[in-house]
Amino acid sequence: MTVTSEAASHDTGSREVSLELIGLSRRFGSVVALDGLTFSVPPGQVFGFLGPNGAGKTTTMRAIFGVVALDSGEVRWRGEPVTEQAKRHFGYMPEERGLYPSMQILDQLEYLGRLHDMTASSARGAARNWIGRLGLAGREADKLEALSHGNQQRVQLAAALIHDPQLLVLDEPFAGLDPGGVDDMTEILAERARAGVTVLFSSHQLDLVEHICESVAIIHRGRVVAQGAVSALERGGRPRLAVRVAGDPDGNWARRLDQQIASAEQVNSGTVLLALAPGADSQRVLDAARAAGAVEHFSFASRRLSEVFRDVTGEEA
Amino acid sequence: MNSRWLRLTAIVAEREIRQRGRSRAFAVSTIVLLLIVAAGVVIPAILAHHAKPQRVGIVAGPVPAMTEIVQEAGRLTGTGVTVVPQPSLAAAEAALRTGQLDVVLVNDTEVVVKQVSIPGSTGSGGTLPSAIADVAGLTKLVGQLPPGAAASGVSLPVRGLTPPSASLSRRLTGLFTVVLVFVLITVYGSQIAMGVGEEKSNRIVEVILASVRPIQLLVGKVTGIGTLALAQAALMVAAFLGLGAAVGSSVVHGAAPGIVITGAVFLVLGYAFYCTAFAAAGSLVSRQSDVGTVVLPVQSPLIVAYALSYTVIYANGANVFYKVLGFLPPTAPVAMPVLYAAGDVPAWQAAVSAVLVALGTVWMARTAATIYGRSILRTGSRVRLRQVLARGEAA
Repeated sequence: MTVTSEAASHDTGSREVSLELIGLSRRFGSVVALDGLTFSVPPGQVFGFLGPNGAGKTTTMRAIFGVVALDSGEVRWRGEPVTEQAKRHFGYMPEERGLYPSMQILDQLEYLGRLHDMTASSARGAARNWIGRLGLAGREADKLEALSHGNQQRVQLAAALIHDPQLLVLDEPFAGLDPGGVDDMTEILAERARAGVTVLFSSHQLDLVEHICESVAIIHRGRVVAQGAVSALERGGRPRLAVRVAGDPDGNWARRLDQQIASAEQVNSGTVLLALAPGADSQRVLDAARAAGAVEHFSFASRRLSEVFRDVTGEEA
Repeated sequence: MNSRWLRLTAIVAEREIRQRGRSRAFAVSTIVLLLIVAAGVVIPAILAHHAKPQRVGIVAGPVPAMTEIVQEAGRLTGTGVTVVPQPSLAAAEAALRTGQLDVVLVNDTEVVVKQVSIPGSTGSGGTLPSAIADVAGLTKLVGQLPPGAAASGVSLPVRGLTPPSASLSRRLTGLFTVVLVFVLITVYGSQIAMGVGEEKSNRIVEVILASVRPIQLLVGKVTGIGTLALAQAALMVAAFLGLGAAVGSSVVHGAAPGIVITGAVFLVLGYAFYCTAFAAAGSLVSRQSDVGTVVLPVQSPLIVAYALSYTVIYANGANVFYKVLGFLPPTAPVAMPVLYAAGDVPAWQAAVSAVLVALGTVWMARTAATIYGRSILRTGSRVRLRQVLARGEAA
């Protein structure tokens, strides 16, 4: 099942596209990690990349950096295949965090900056700047292993940001962060996106994704099963209505509805959630409700992202 | 390969040098190795000064005159001598063989020792047998000439009971070289494997390989650690020569330039051959604690050659098996310096072996780079060599 909202594709189509993943396929022995995965990410947005465990998120992210070779498909950046030159302006925070445990954090960040073509002095300056911004000032000479888990995460983020990348790819950046860390991370990602950076991140925390991202792609078994603006996905392909009729706590009126118009999905203390049949007129539902009694509430209901996720993947996030 | 390629590789190498160079492990290992070198040079020198007097047999001549010759030679070489008159040449030779005598002077004819050192390998002369031969030869000449005639020194011949061989001091220099080659390759090879294992197990390779190719990371790491290894080796050699000169060690006097050069060449080649193999081995594991199990097979040829080299250094002449090891790239870095130092192979054969090792190194570097590139990002269980070589992801 693939859900692509009209609104969403229109939304991204009207802007320039920065990162495009086109038909990515990759097998590991008998395991299909990516199966023709295709989506694109607009610039200046925080884009969520969702999917159950083993759906292929990490493989996709590694493929963007050329760290995993593809059997077929192509990654394009600003309309061109990704070159070594382009990759220097990518920043990556892998799922399995990795920095040198016994290296001082300032030296470590400087080293990573230099590997991205920064001079030693500008890398050192940027490292100090990010260390300060992430609340680690004064700990420059500490070894990574001397920091708490949350602070190591901050250093890892700094490692992805040190060279001021145009594309930021973060694999589960919120995993293991305390609420303060989540807020800091959210703010930095949003701020980078406002600065025109393309931000792609994966997460299992759908409430957070709902809150942070404008658009998402949901993948399952190596394929994209839903993508588009969060708001459009939450409206869904079949609009839903929430209706409450006075004096009918069990929503009995809705059972008499024609299935060609709408069908009741659930009843919460008198409020009936209905899925509108394709092409059906919502006003006919209102008519039916009025006929049953005084209508206390009538609105379009949006789904939570977690519901969309469950629908398209058949799994909990 | 362009300037950026080299620059990134150099940055990787620089990190290795900085991080390791200022680590306590490096300082400690340098001090320990220096102490070993110092002990190896100074202790034999101290022992030499307290050496028991050399027992010199004299045969077939006037005892007082010959005693005087021997004592004069002892004074010239700074060696204590004890003169032991022998009833016959046969008895003297028998005593030489059993070690009861060190040198035998046969009046006017020859000097006999158990084994003659290869000429030129003992530096500026000065051994007791040659001094005896000189003094006795001169005495003979002076006795034959009319007074006032110019006497140009004619030494008596020095004969060995067994075929000539390299001097022990030369062999000890060979031993020093081999210990240095073996220790440095083993120590730094393990460091490479551990370093690669660390990078793989804590996944920093993912961050680094996003901007650097695996081959750059491999070459940078190997040259960085190699620079440290060579710096340490140079320090050892400097200490060896400096201390040796200071205490007048005969071990150092035996260090003909040829042996030092051969040792240096095979140290560099041996390191180059093994370091990439160690890196490939390190890339196969997922946990750093597993590094030991993959490193041992890589080391084993080196260990075999090293163990056997002691027999060659102390025995007279290498067997064919050891000579073959001297030409196989995995064992040559240890075996060839020993063979050369022991005088068992001429210089041109050492050169042939060096070329073979260099070719082997090129092959090994390519194979290792392939293994490394394909396995460095594979997590989970230990990667089997066969899987990697059969079909892998070219990262």
